[in-house]
Amino acid sequence: MKKMKIFTILALVGVAFATFSMADSDEYSKKSYKKYGSKYSVAPVNNKLYEDECASCHFGYQPGLLPKRSWVKLMEPRELENHFGDDATLEEEDRLTLLGYLTANAADSKYNNSRLSKEIAREIPRGLTPIALSQTRYFKHDHDEIPKRFIEQKEVKSIANCAACHTTAQKGYYGERDIVIPNYGRWDD
Amino acid sequence: MKKVLWLFLLPLVLFGADLNPQMQKYMEELAKQAKQENPDFKGFDYKRGEKIFTSTHIGKRGKPISCVSCHTSDLTKEGKNINTGKVLPPLSPQANPKSITKVKKVKKWLKRNFKDVYNRVGTAQEKGDAIVYIVNKK
Repeated sequence: MKKMKIFTILALVGVAFATFSMADSDEYSKKSYKKYGSKYSVAPVNNKLYEDECASCHFGYQPGLLPKRSWVKLMEPRELENHFGDDATLEEEDRLTLLGYLTANAADSKYNNSRLSKEIAREIPRGLTPIALSQTRYFKHDHDEIPKRFIEQKEVKSIANCAACHTTAQKGYYGERDIVIPNYGRWDD
Repeated sequence: MKKVLWLFLLPLVLFGADLNPQMQKYMEELAKQAKQENPDFKGFDYKRGEKIFTSTHIGKRGKPISCVSCHTSDLTKEGKNINTGKVLPPLSPQANPKSITKVKKVKKWLKRNFKDVYNRVGTAQEKGDAIVYIVNKK
């Protein structure tokens, strides 16, 4: 009888412990999401028109990578006529639709909860309106250790080709642990 | 009346089999425009289209470029944007049935790419010639 009691108590403690550790591991995954998730990631692209019109020529930069004022400038008709050296003019209706999508999800949009986006918005000086993240000091600071030959090789071509090395860039995740540089390998800072 | 009929029938005879109705209609519009731009216009031409597509020009960036630079000379294969490295689906409808099916898309790319390669917009005749070449190139 006494043995039975002890067993019951042990069982209860076991259940309690299991529940506790489950809560703990859940808490842990939340923490790790915060650590590796929103700190290094932005919301992925979820707009068909954007994918068709913009990402058919280049990597589909997520709207959360630049503040509103940058998207507004980039999407001006005159800017689009000479879009980093190419003609990227759009029909007016499409241009306005895309502008709406980009600004609503921009780095400094109130709808954007990504810590990476908030950091980008904070780090770009107010007086500046860069039309590419790669033009910012913030970006350059994070990429200045990369040897030129890694960027100039044909698999990468340009520092603006995010997905060439950030293997999860498409998903909006830019964490260091997923960087693989073509013909070199993982990048450990 | 005869002239109108001729303008209407010519595109159908030339490439009716390869293009969907909206593209056929667009080709008819281009033919009409080409006739206005040049009274000697006798219809679109594969050979002229080939030259437009394969010849090199000083493009928008001030450097030599041709359509082939990105689309390659085998239109049934994937191309690659020479500036961004982005892979382009094959241009030939023989390899990519979705290619040259949406007038809106065709217009957009003709406008952009003529500027990229020729640093100007294309004429109606040039556009029609280029389409005939792209659709029929084996």
